[in-house]
Amino acid sequence: MLTEEARFQAFMDRINRGEKIEATDWMPEEYRLLLIKLIHMHGVSEIMGAYPEKEWVPKAPTLKRKLAIMAKVQDEVGHGQLLLRVVEDLAAPLNKTREDLIEDIYKNKVKFHNVFHMEARSWADAGLIGWLVDGAAITIQASLLQSSYGPYARVLKRVCAEESFHMKHGESIILALATGTPEQRKMLQEALDYWWESLLFFFGPREITPAVDRMLYYRIRVLTNEELRQKYLDKYVPRIQSLGIKIPDPQLRFDREKNCWVYTDPDWDRFSRMVHFNEGPKSRERVEMRRQAHEDQRWVREALLRARKQAV
Amino acid sequence: MKIEQASVAKSNPVYAEALVNWLYQLADDELVIGHRDSEWLGMCPDIEGDVAFSSIAQDEVGHANFYFTLLHELGEKDPDALAFSRPANSRRNALLLEHENHDWAYSVVRHMFYDLWDELRLKAFSDSSYFPLSRGAARMLREEYYHSLHMTTWFVQLGSAGGEAKEKMNAAIRKIWPDLGDLFYIDQEKMLLQFGIIQESSASMKEKWEEQIKGLVQKAGLTWPGPVPGVQMNGRLGEHSDDLKRLIETMGEVYTLDPAAKW
Amino acid sequence: MAENKKDFDIFEVFVQETHLDSHIHVGSLVAASPDLAMQMARENFLRRDQAVNLWVVSRSQITATSYESPFFSREMDKTYREVSGYTENGRLWRMFKEKDMDIEEIVAHVREQSNPVAQEEEKPERRESR
Repeated sequence: MLTEEARFQAFMDRINRGEKIEATDWMPEEYRLLLIKLIHMHGVSEIMGAYPEKEWVPKAPTLKRKLAIMAKVQDEVGHGQLLLRVVEDLAAPLNKTREDLIEDIYKNKVKFHNVFHMEARSWADAGLIGWLVDGAAITIQASLLQSSYGPYARVLKRVCAEESFHMKHGESIILALATGTPEQRKMLQEALDYWWESLLFFFGPREITPAVDRMLYYRIRVLTNEELRQKYLDKYVPRIQSLGIKIPDPQLRFDREKNCWVYTDPDWDRFSRMVHFNEGPKSRERVEMRRQAHEDQRWVREALLRARKQAV
Repeated sequence: MKIEQASVAKSNPVYAEALVNWLYQLADDELVIGHRDSEWLGMCPDIEGDVAFSSIAQDEVGHANFYFTLLHELGEKDPDALAFSRPANSRRNALLLEHENHDWAYSVVRHMFYDLWDELRLKAFSDSSYFPLSRGAARMLREEYYHSLHMTTWFVQLGSAGGEAKEKMNAAIRKIWPDLGDLFYIDQEKMLLQFGIIQESSASMKEKWEEQIKGLVQKAGLTWPGPVPGVQMNGRLGEHSDDLKRLIETMGEVYTLDPAAKW
Repeated sequence: MAENKKDFDIFEVFVQETHLDSHIHVGSLVAASPDLAMQMARENFLRRDQAVNLWVVSRSQITATSYESPFFSREMDKTYREVSGYTENGRLWRMFKEKDMDIEEIVAHVREQSNPVAQEEEKPERRESR
């Protein structure tokens, strides 16, 4: 029999050798809980992230756009499904199931990303979400492909493959607006003005919080918030500027000496309250939609279970 | 008579008119039900089901796009204009399809009723005198296989579960029943049959539909509400409820900001 | 116990992409019945990919190895089972003025025989001379 300490050391040796951990492996309780916290929030963000764009599905302005945005929102829900399955297997020893993980959303026991608390006010907002919010999510997910937890990394491979369509979808809407009428370009500029700050916040605080520190230790994550934000700015600032729209931050520039982007801090406090207390402009409404979806259709799930019992 | 191309169809104005009229009935049905289906996004009973149902919504809108494209080839406006900017009184969809989704039971019952009708209808023009239409029918029928399978599974499982689910399903059937009439109505049917654009009469299809539905209602342990009523309001002739007016308003909200713009 | 279960079952999903592929595990989902699991699997895992066949298997029916056991260990030299264990052949063939041949060469050759056009197009000498 291994001592607890030796078992932990063997586990850390595996992590440090770059091996992947699997659901049925022994793992420290802290590792399990960190994974549940991270992936639950990720999965729930995909599901709640469907709502801002869902609002524009009925209004998409061409048949092609209508089909594409339906497929895109469908993918988001599908990513939620994949991620929740990963959490369900991790949380099974704690006796938590899909039902609990969904209920946690409207019992305020799980957070979701700040951007999905925001309003999608126009078609340009819907396009900008597809381009820049997805771009930010892709940046983070790409780094998580290296995660030490095998089931998470595997699911993200599939997610990233589908995100490649999301990238094109978002860009396509934005490019149509950017090459469109003055009115359309104005819509686009207004969308960027509204979303910019929340895009910066999306990556989280500059400092390494204790939870992030532990995730880095276990190689659940491999990059810090700030490293990810910098990588995002590398890729997206030049493209935004190339469209001739203005990023609403006069301080924004690349500092060659420090070799990093300098930017005005977003209102950390405001967005953080939004995420922690569901105080964003659309938080309550969307959480209520999720509650309705789950509670109003409870009779359906119960009926299917009854039908199964009868069939046996 | 077999017609390969739109230009040939157009050279016979009577034929073209009947064909165009028929295509509008098909396109509008698919667009409206697809739009309603898409409103379930993020609201379905479970996550897996949400993903599955969205594919059905996409298929329906895809079919609408196909019919609108045929219309455009026949000299009508471009597909987006046809989908987004026609007023309610020129829409030819069946009344039932435009109503709001209500609950899952209503949506399941309505969808299955429609899918089985749509399948019969597709078969009725799978050997159409208008080639572009018969070719499309073959492809759409293959997609409809999954729709019918999926919706009948829901229908039978929810019905046979008994209890609250059974009550809700029976209530949905009763709510839908009076709205069924114009679903089976085909405007200019005589002409369509005469030209071989369709090859089965609505009366014959309706008989088959009733037989199939009766079987499924029985299998699910639900209650058959009696004879299918005749046409009351007729969506095929442009008579519609306020539900459709609201739907069109929502659907066209961005498009109408600037119909000349590229979106 | 199953009587009181309030949750859906977990189903593992396996997809066969073409007739020449085996079924490959792609993920899992929860569903109330195998029928519904199958229908959900089509859209949750095959929205874009081709397939000719699909399995859903209740997870409870799967017996698996542990990731941590030495179940797959092969410690001693087993190259006698593999091509890499026979590098000597090449040198010996050269003594007889023949070159070493691998199975791909035979497979390609058999394919060429059955298709004279392909044979023309795929002659290695011609490709090199281009």
